Amino acid sequence: MTTDWLTPDTRDLLVAGVKVTLALTVITSVLAFALALFICRLRLSAVAFWRGVAATYIELCRNIPALVWVIFFAYALPNAFDLDTRRMLFFRNGVMEFLRQETGVLIPYYLIGAVLGLTLNTSAYLVELLRAGIGTLKQEHLESARTLGATPNAAFQRLLMPHGIRAAAPGIMTRLVHNMKNTALASFVAVPEFFKAVQTSISRSFYAIELLVLASVVYWILTWGFAVLLRRVLPQPRSASWMVR
Amino acid sequence: MSAVDFLWRNLPNFLLGFPGQRPGGLLLSLWLAAIAITLGFIIAVWVGSLGASRWWILRRLAAAYVAIFRGLPLLLLLLVIHQVVGGKRTGLDFSPMTSSLVALTLYTSAYQAEVIRAGLMAVPIELVETARSMGSGSWRVFLRVRLRYALRLMLPALINEMITLFKDSSVLLILGVGELMTVARASLGSSVHNSVYWLPTYLFVGVLYALVALGISRLAAHWERKRQPAGLIRHLGLQL
Repeated sequence: MTTDWLTPDTRDLLVAGVKVTLALTVITSVLAFALALFICRLRLSAVAFWRGVAATYIELCRNIPALVWVIFFAYALPNAFDLDTRRMLFFRNGVMEFLRQETGVLIPYYLIGAVLGLTLNTSAYLVELLRAGIGTLKQEHLESARTLGATPNAAFQRLLMPHGIRAAAPGIMTRLVHNMKNTALASFVAVPEFFKAVQTSISRSFYAIELLVLASVVYWILTWGFAVLLRRVLPQPRSASWMVR
Repeated sequence: MSAVDFLWRNLPNFLLGFPGQRPGGLLLSLWLAAIAITLGFIIAVWVGSLGASRWWILRRLAAAYVAIFRGLPLLLLLLVIHQVVGGKRTGLDFSPMTSSLVALTLYTSAYQAEVIRAGLMAVPIELVETARSMGSGSWRVFLRVRLRYALRLMLPALINEMITLFKDSSVLLILGVGELMTVARASLGSSVHNSVYWLPTYLFVGVLYALVALGISRLAAHWERKRQPAGLIRHLGLQL
């Protein structure tokens, strides 16, 4: 399909952008979910210190906008060092080299910065959702698990975590879809994801209206598809009282 | 100049915008968020009540509205409003400020509508039936019983939504309307010599956002405790 505004060049740019957006979404979602489980365990710890650490993490990551986090990690943090240190720390080191060899493409540091920012922001929200989900567990369940000799970690892994995920599944889904939309923020730090590709195409061809409408349709399809996928992947709440919709 | 000096010198700019220009910075962020939330709330009551309606066609309409404005990143919505809907071709020719307000309003109205719809659906049917059997008209029942109960129930979620919108207003950086994020970016300028200030500036701006967001939520929690609404979600205070 070729029209005067959707040239093959533009199309390739946009398709590549969609791929980066999808990759960003999957990576940040998985990382944020794993991080959220870990922080949630800390938040429920019997040790006041770990609870404090987790609470501080949640408040900081949740109350600072995702955009600030993304710019902070991608631009502000490297800028704090002088040129040589910066190069060594962020651009030419073992980790970057490893990533380059593993994936076969040169991954710019900005992409990693964006991933970090989005992950932190989303994980804090997920912890709160998980905690609310775990809060719906009946106290007797936890007590019986403890009576049967489950260690705190076992109780968390085998009882609280599965229950929390299941109970909070609708909220988690909404948040992860929100995270997908948030990947557009990575365009601020020159990550060539879909929104950036749209902006680049507009500044090249000036077909703003056509490209923006196309972008809207693509984002609707992406978020809708991701929601459908998540509904399959996440365990759904069992009892009918959860089916609020 | 040390980083502290830089921040101190720019503090009035962060809070109130650059001197000699129209007010900006944190003040503008709060102002934009407040107006968008208020206008969005009015739309959301309409859309939310349509969503909880008896007729499927109204429910569909409300669902479509929510899907349209929730399915797009705010960033894209901003550009669509600014360049497509409010572009030169339609003759509307929105200023960046108008586009920001419209986009923020539509965005938050979709989220608030979902909250209000959930609240309306959670109103006990007995309550509605009692009101009806006492002879209240349907408008009266809706306004004085259902909506009132739903709003009371959903107040925490609505406040959450307000805080979220305030933080999301940072995205307006793309249109450069002069709110906190734009001021932060502008104060750094394009000089290489300013690169050492990037870290402290963004840290500071982040903390500023966090302080306001935390302040609002603390204030709301305090207020809620005083009014003692139906405490729906109680954390068990689980400890392992």
